[in-house]
Amino acid sequence: MLSVKIKDIIFKNPILTASGTFGYGNEIGEFIDIEKLGGVVTKSVTLHPREGNPQPRIAETDSGMLNSIGLANLGVVEYCNSKLPYLNNLDTNFIINVAGYAIDDYVETLQILESNNGKQVGYEINISCPNVKEGGMEFGVDPSMTEKLTAELRKHTDKILIMKLSPNVTRIEDIAKAAEFGGADCVSAINTLVGMGIDIKTRKPKINTVFGGLSGPAIKPIALANVHKIYKAINIPIIGLGGIKSINDIVEFILAGADLIQIGTLNYKEPGIGIRLADDLMNYLKENNINSISELKGQLSI
Amino acid sequence: MKNKIFQENSKVVYTREIAKNTFETMLYSPKISNRAIPGQFINILPSSNWGAMMRRPMSIASQENDNISIIYKIVGNGTQMMRDWKVGQTVDIIGPLGNFWIGYDEYEPILIGGGVGIAPIINLKNHLDKLNIKNHLIMGARNSDEHFLDHEPNLNIHMSTDDGSLGVKGTVIDVLNIMLEEPNRKKIYACGPPGMMEAVKVFSINNNIVCDLAVETIMACGVGICQGCTVELNKVDENKNSYRQKYALACIDGPIFNAKDIKTCYL
Repeated sequence: MLSVKIKDIIFKNPILTASGTFGYGNEIGEFIDIEKLGGVVTKSVTLHPREGNPQPRIAETDSGMLNSIGLANLGVVEYCNSKLPYLNNLDTNFIINVAGYAIDDYVETLQILESNNGKQVGYEINISCPNVKEGGMEFGVDPSMTEKLTAELRKHTDKILIMKLSPNVTRIEDIAKAAEFGGADCVSAINTLVGMGIDIKTRKPKINTVFGGLSGPAIKPIALANVHKIYKAINIPIIGLGGIKSINDIVEFILAGADLIQIGTLNYKEPGIGIRLADDLMNYLKENNINSISELKGQLSI
Repeated sequence: MKNKIFQENSKVVYTREIAKNTFETMLYSPKISNRAIPGQFINILPSSNWGAMMRRPMSIASQENDNISIIYKIVGNGTQMMRDWKVGQTVDIIGPLGNFWIGYDEYEPILIGGGVGIAPIINLKNHLDKLNIKNHLIMGARNSDEHFLDHEPNLNIHMSTDDGSLGVKGTVIDVLNIMLEEPNRKKIYACGPPGMMEAVKVFSINNNIVCDLAVETIMACGVGICQGCTVELNKVDENKNSYRQKYALACIDGPIFNAKDIKTCYL
């Protein structure tokens, strides 16, 4: 009832964990049965290790949080050595989130991952990174840059290729179309929104980089609107995310057009939330005599 | 492999006020209690309908008889909710987390605590007493109301107060100065407000005394995922393209760091 097929891959349920909120799986896997999830999306990995930004990197907000981690991660080689063996043994799907600062970065990282015989079912591409070779503009704010990056990556993998879209754009549906034209199998939306907080005692920003990414339930209505706009514009599957914290939220995202969903910020508060909501979703389907998730997709009644 | 970290539905045994605005709560939490080592912490969900995104990390003050205790001051919504927990109420906690105090059997430990940082210090004090390791305890506060122990220099328990209302008038550094006139091999273990910790850090470096500090930072996941609880380190090989060499994480690399290794206690 709960399973969803994307390309040739079956997800046992539509609930994945969002990149950066679930580490590499092993940390929470120590005390939660993460194999009950539809899948795990691991933290952004880059070609080289990255220390990330100075503190403070996170701050609480009403119904959300700000972060500016700076893609701190162990680098793709160490990822393959120390994280893939654990992930390969998981009895659920995992997707590797990849970030970069030039098209070549992404391609090289992907090639290394492809050459390691990992069991990843796909890649989620973080395009909310500055393209340092093209003046520092984020890949994900420009349709042509998004299409070019997608097309380049498409050449190097047959696995599920997911472009993760930024909401900090004028028309997210144009970026989604560009990803589709470039050959993406799927898009995920939304990444965090630009946000800011100020400590009025010190008059300093609450996040070292002044601006940070806002996530959590505060952004859910925005995420839902973006997912629906994308749904009306493209024909490939959509992974919806942004502040999901309840069965109600999940059903809303699916009705708006999502095939799969990701849970992000709420993992910090309740590491087992995805598993709890998978049970809730099953009960919801039974109670409403719905035979499969696909019956709900895009069924917004206007 | 046996789990090292648990998410446990603990039960409130009691809560009592031990000093002005300072509370101790005892939680029945057998899994965590049996695994915890002094210096470690738990990450607490203050209530099942907690609206904020982050749990509240707290040092463990004791781990005995299937119970653990925490000590806290009321500073915001979370700690207010904690104070108001009912006896028998279930509390969702994750732990034990982080590293722990080490090396005390090679030195004559001086333990320094202040403010909300007293929990891991009291825990270590009781642990050392049980092991019959001679130790010194220094607790700093603004005035006697904030202390819950007596000034008993004969028992190597020293209180300092800014206003002189209990023990030595001044800060923990004034007590440290007196104590270090004895030549024994000492090691400092400290946890307290950033200003106190910074002073202890500088003192230990200037006097060439080994010193471990338990730091406090903003923290979300507590298990190394969110990368939010960074502590900037001194020893950085700028040529090495590294990960967590420059910015360690308080939750998994700490919360205890050698004073020489960290750049600042103002986190």
